[in-house]
Amino acid sequence: MFRPTRDNDGVTDTPREQIALARAGMAVRTTVAAPFTGRARRELTFCLIGVAFGLVVLAAPFVLIGLATAVTLLLPRPDHQPAVNVSFLVIIPLGLVAIVVLATTAGRAYGALQRRVAAQLLDTRIEPPPPRRSASGRERTIGALLGDGPGWRALGYGLVKIPLSVAEGYAVLCWVAGIVNISYPFWWRLFRNHPPSVRLSAVPMVTPLGLFHVETFGGTFAAFGAGVAMLLAAPWLARGVSRLDVAVMRPLLGPGKLAEQVRQLRDSRAQAVDDAAAMVRRLERDLHDGAQIRLATLAMTLGMASEKLGTDGAAPDVDEARELVAAAHRGAKDALADLRDLVRGIHPPVLDAGLPDALSTLAAGCPIPARLTTDLPIRPAPAIETIAYFCIAELLANATKHSQASHIAIDVTARSNKTLAITVDDDGIGGASVTAGGGLAGLTRRISTVDGDMRVTSPSGGPTTIAIDLPMSA
Amino acid sequence: MRRADMRVVIAEDAAMMRDGLVRLLTDHGHDVCAAVGDPDSLRAAVAEHRPDAAIVDIRMPPTHTDEGLRAALDIRRDQPGVGVLVFSQYIETRYAAQLLAGDASGVGYLLKDRVADIGEFLDALVRVASGGTALDPEVVGHLLRTSRDATGLATLTARERDVLALMAEGRSNAGIADALYITAGVVEKHSANIFAKLGLPPSDADNRRVLAVLRYLRS
Repeated sequence: MFRPTRDNDGVTDTPREQIALARAGMAVRTTVAAPFTGRARRELTFCLIGVAFGLVVLAAPFVLIGLATAVTLLLPRPDHQPAVNVSFLVIIPLGLVAIVVLATTAGRAYGALQRRVAAQLLDTRIEPPPPRRSASGRERTIGALLGDGPGWRALGYGLVKIPLSVAEGYAVLCWVAGIVNISYPFWWRLFRNHPPSVRLSAVPMVTPLGLFHVETFGGTFAAFGAGVAMLLAAPWLARGVSRLDVAVMRPLLGPGKLAEQVRQLRDSRAQAVDDAAAMVRRLERDLHDGAQIRLATLAMTLGMASEKLGTDGAAPDVDEARELVAAAHRGAKDALADLRDLVRGIHPPVLDAGLPDALSTLAAGCPIPARLTTDLPIRPAPAIETIAYFCIAELLANATKHSQASHIAIDVTARSNKTLAITVDDDGIGGASVTAGGGLAGLTRRISTVDGDMRVTSPSGGPTTIAIDLPMSA
Repeated sequence: MRRADMRVVIAEDAAMMRDGLVRLLTDHGHDVCAAVGDPDSLRAAVAEHRPDAAIVDIRMPPTHTDEGLRAALDIRRDQPGVGVLVFSQYIETRYAAQLLAGDASGVGYLLKDRVADIGEFLDALVRVASGGTALDPEVVGHLLRTSRDATGLATLTARERDVLALMAEGRSNAGIADALYITAGVVEKHSANIFAKLGLPPSDADNRRVLAVLRYLRS
């Protein structure tokens, strides 16, 4: 991009000055070239089409009224009834109903056309709103037509388009009048070669500042100057107006905030459902491979022991029976430990006493010394407490496994009664990142189900800070 | 009905349970040719040892879904002489139907919990090894509850229903007599009544009788 504007002219510029000069030169070139770029042409076209759209919107009511009148006049007129009555009693109500019913459809079509124009000429893609849908799922019911928010929003855009099209017309005017003004000196002499006695009226000159009159050849140079200025300004004006138009288009012709929120909610709901299903599957596996198999084995061992003890009288094989009973005893204790771990994994009972108690148990059990600070004047919702607990448990487990840290600091603070702010810091080697399928990605998913947020700062070499914000209520 | 020196292959991925089964069978004088933890080793061991029976856990690696069942079906198809006792922590009637499709000889489907009653479990294994059937009471109970011909079953007395259930589990008359604390003669009388009431062709062979009963319950 950098290009020197002056060659060896004896002045040694510092690089900074050179760059500044180059920048200034480029700015001048950009300004001068602006009217001749493809972009300027497309923006001009957009403004021109905008004017047409504005006119269409302005004309629409008149066209409709005209049509209604024509229909009224063409209707067969019963002799005893004047046409006016027919029009008032039948045509106008019917017409109004038709307009109201068709309004949102027309609005949508109008919006779609506008979005296409913007995509073609301004390279601005605006997502279309979701298709029309009524509660009953049918698209063409009156309720669906009348309750079609995006359709009405598009009509609203049509109204806003009227003042916008005035501005767009202004930009077009700048272009056209600029070119016309520039042309004045060239044709002046051709058409003003009248005898000195003849006095011609002045030639009007259109500028953004108003109408001026050119009476002399000298005056045409003023017109020329004004024309050049207008031509240089026109592309920027067109650009500004187009941008304004797009800024209005986005909320009015886009999917809408609500639709966007619905999409996000649908995503997070799907995640929550997946998470719940995965959790249930994991539980089933844990039970199937753990406690259940231990208990079945235990039952078998006891069965064998009771065989060794016989049904009555002296036991046929006391020693082996003793050994089997001891094994069964061990098995029962193992099964209990298994179940206890499992239960803690589902919902740690200590969590019922509140997050601080649960977390201090967790911190105390962490192999790396962990310092816990909490500031929770009010309790978060149970679901949030559970998510917070498991997130911190996962982060501590991660730190233990990967960080080589010697200290961990956990802070849990309720901020402004709305946000539960969690930070887990360690002085380890860093390098933690959210990678697909990794533990942190799992946490992100879990956190996003309640519209929470997680930030990971973990440069290579450490230290690592992981900050999680959760809402206080799910 | 006790029979010693059966040759058995065990396929069970939980080591604890596998070791327990090995000990149990060896204790009772049976020969455990191989104790493996995955379906491929099971197929290899069965092909190599041609045992009297294979005890097969349904859920095994790699996916822990129904690998064991598929291996069991393969063995039944390829090695008809090997009794297959499928062993599971829960009962799926669909699996039972697949195992029993066409032929109820030398096949069993039992809950793992049944090992707690050592005698009954060994009985079932012996039955399967000698070409009989061992169907878990859970499966039979389900079939009895969901049988479409409720009217036919309603004509049976409570005792006859008990006998029918035990028959469906694959037990012999002597086994049924033992379980219900009645004589074999009484069992024979009951079973004749059952077959007459349900309109089934009388059959002496245990496994053909099982099949008739099961077919009746499933139809």
